[in-house]
Amino acid sequence: MNRLTNMPRLAVRLLASAALGIMACGCSTIGPEPWEKDLMAKKAMQVDAYASEKNAADHIYFSKEASSGGRGFAGGGCGCN
Amino acid sequence: MLSGRDTLYVFQAMATPCEVRLETDDAVVAERVFQAVETETRRIEQKYSRYRPDSVVSRINAAAGSQVEVDSETAMLLDFSAQCHALSRGLFDITSGVLRRIWNFDGSNRLPDQSQIAALTHLIGWRKVTWARPFIALRPGMEIDFGGVAKEYAVDRALAIAGGITKAPLLVNFGGDLCVSGPRRDGSRWKIAIEAVDRSGAMEGLLELSRGAVATSGDARRFLLKDGVRYGHILNPKTGWPIEQAPRSVTVAAGTCLEAGMMSTIAILQGRHAERFLKREGVRAWCIR
Amino acid sequence: MQLKRRPKVRDQLARLSAGLIAATIAAHVEQADAQTYDTQYGQKYNTRNDDFGPGIAYSQLDAAMLVYSEQGGRITAVEPTLELAVHGPKDQILSLGLTADAVSGATPNGAVKTDVLQTFVTPTKTAGSSYSVTGASGGSTIIKVPGQAAIRQYTVAAGLLPMDKGFQDHRGAFNLGYAQPLGWLTQFGGGVGYSMESDYSSITGNVHAAKNFNGNNTTLSLSLNTEYDTSTPFGGVPVPLAVMDGTWKTAKSKTKTQMGLVVGLTQVLTRNWLMQLNYAYDNQDGYQTDPYRILSVVDPSSGEPLRNIYENRPTKRTSQSVFWENKLDFGPTLTDISLRYFKDSWGITSKTAEISERLDLSSSFYIEPSIRWYQQSAANFFRNYLVGGQTLPSYASSDIRLGKFTSITYGAKVGYALSGRTELYVRGGFYSQTGDGHPADAIGQLKNQNLFSGTKAMFAFVGYTWNFH
Repeated sequence: MNRLTNMPRLAVRLLASAALGIMACGCSTIGPEPWEKDLMAKKAMQVDAYASEKNAADHIYFSKEASSGGRGFAGGGCGCN
Repeated sequence: MLSGRDTLYVFQAMATPCEVRLETDDAVVAERVFQAVETETRRIEQKYSRYRPDSVVSRINAAAGSQVEVDSETAMLLDFSAQCHALSRGLFDITSGVLRRIWNFDGSNRLPDQSQIAALTHLIGWRKVTWARPFIALRPGMEIDFGGVAKEYAVDRALAIAGGITKAPLLVNFGGDLCVSGPRRDGSRWKIAIEAVDRSGAMEGLLELSRGAVATSGDARRFLLKDGVRYGHILNPKTGWPIEQAPRSVTVAAGTCLEAGMMSTIAILQGRHAERFLKREGVRAWCIR
Repeated sequence: MQLKRRPKVRDQLARLSAGLIAATIAAHVEQADAQTYDTQYGQKYNTRNDDFGPGIAYSQLDAAMLVYSEQGGRITAVEPTLELAVHGPKDQILSLGLTADAVSGATPNGAVKTDVLQTFVTPTKTAGSSYSVTGASGGSTIIKVPGQAAIRQYTVAAGLLPMDKGFQDHRGAFNLGYAQPLGWLTQFGGGVGYSMESDYSSITGNVHAAKNFNGNNTTLSLSLNTEYDTSTPFGGVPVPLAVMDGTWKTAKSKTKTQMGLVVGLTQVLTRNWLMQLNYAYDNQDGYQTDPYRILSVVDPSSGEPLRNIYENRPTKRTSQSVFWENKLDFGPTLTDISLRYFKDSWGITSKTAEISERLDLSSSFYIEPSIRWYQQSAANFFRNYLVGGQTLPSYASSDIRLGKFTSITYGAKVGYALSGRTELYVRGGFYSQTGDGHPADAIGQLKNQNLFSGTKAMFAFVGYTWNFH
């Protein structure tokens, strides 16, 4: 068989399977895959861990300084400012 | 407070903690399930353990040259191993255990030399085994060992037997090779905490499974290091040497534990093409290098 | 030439393994074995369900105590807190918090340190009133002038920072919140809170919503919060910038309303890097003056104090802040770095940088040293003192909390996991404010005084977390 005429058919086949391959793997996500998130399960890596301690520290800083907020919402709730 | 109440049973077998988790409040049913699973697991362990002189495997290995008649369960396992040997193009081979005699993965730089390996090559190869159901004959000096399938087989068997006792959602986990019967009572997924391969106890991960199984091949702790080259403990039965550039571990999620376990074993045997192999097969898997 | 699709290894393996199990079950292989196998390892261990996490219903109780003490006999405070969070199986969270506060000690009253003895007067309990007396102890005297209400007077020796001793207050607060997934929102919830002390009360409310994207790697959140405060100072609300006296002021209380929003982005960037970025906008409208604080009005040439007047702060304050936190897990250590930039309409800008390093010494024990650096500029109406003869500004305050200073906090935390369900942790810290106590424009004898009234304090925090089903 004439190799030149077979080339386009082979090319079309390869392109088709490549396109299907890209579609099949799904859209790209920023960040790790679900099975790479082992470290994120640690308590220390949670954003809301040790909330009492952070609130107490923020309370001290908020009473002695002019700035507030950062982690959660601004405002004090006590008469300390 | 609804759901979330599991009855948990842990026993030691196959050199790992074996965990059975049943989502039920019925203590009587739970007890039956736990007893059935533990009995079955010990049965498999003792029947196929190469450390017990009265096990089926030891009997076959001791027969050295003459044939042995095996029962139907062993016959089915041998058929399965033969089919996996073909599927993996000879990389999965239950006769490769003899290499244990010269390879000691203790983190040192002591590699066996080529003559030692050459001395064993005539003792390795499934094709050298005469398997005509129900008779098996090994050549003198050869050994078979079901270490590569026993745990996964036990997990799937445990699940099947427990399923015959109760329909309650169940999770069976033998040292990281695990399978669930289906989603939890409220339809949510099982959350499984995993230990990472490198550090013992320190790291934890989270896996969510609603059906099927997860199995892992590989172990980062067993290796040899010489001249800057790391030799993982997965050996190529065809050459007698470790598989080149094998991932440290491959974890696969599949329908049954046997399937997941065998896929992860075959994948890790692909060496540096492990990821490509898994991607081509379209399996849910991840490799740690 | 054709590309043949080879049958997948996976499909065949699936068929083979399912077939094997089915065949062994059908053949009842477990009964075929004549031998009975011994169960020599009958030991059960740990049959308790130690699962805490998403999808499991559990509760978490956090008990904590903060102890705070400033140098120089200033403020000491003890604050116990209790937080209960009930997690439902479908990601519902009900939270309840209780806080109590006992504060006592001495607090600067706003006057400057001088080289002469100073005398200050404040209101005291009048016959028939229900107000309790604060400060009747601590070196002050009650003066009765015939025909007039009694007043309280205290003196401060030369060279000392004027402080009102015998300050005491108790506070109680609670907060209640509930959140759950709603529609396409990953979480939607709200909360209320109430705080009360003898001269101040506050009601807060908030709503918040969050949505996860990107395979749970990205979370966008929005929270709106509001607060309504009522200040009922002992002695009544003073007239701004009026001369300090011991009379009972006519205005009894003042209020303040606050509204704010926070937009947040949390992003898991890599397997070991988590980032959080928050933008906050806040607007406060109402009484923001400290009713007990005064400023010294000094002689323009000698710097000697002439009189004391009550401070006054603007009634409007808007602020914005950007907060960026990074948590990086390097394996044996976990690093937490955060930065905050704050700016408000009172002319204050501040920068905060904090870094902590957690070291796991074993699987249940860790230490975590930390350092926090903070710097703020002065509010545009901040004055160490006012000068006699000059026109009074509309707003003035000598509260160092609105002044220019830098603070450093050295902290260390130690945590111990008593079991899979409980953790005990202790955190200690040393907080120190430094600033310029000798401004170039100091007048007369004030040149020789350290005008910086910032504080140094130590604090300790003990917490206990307990998870249960």
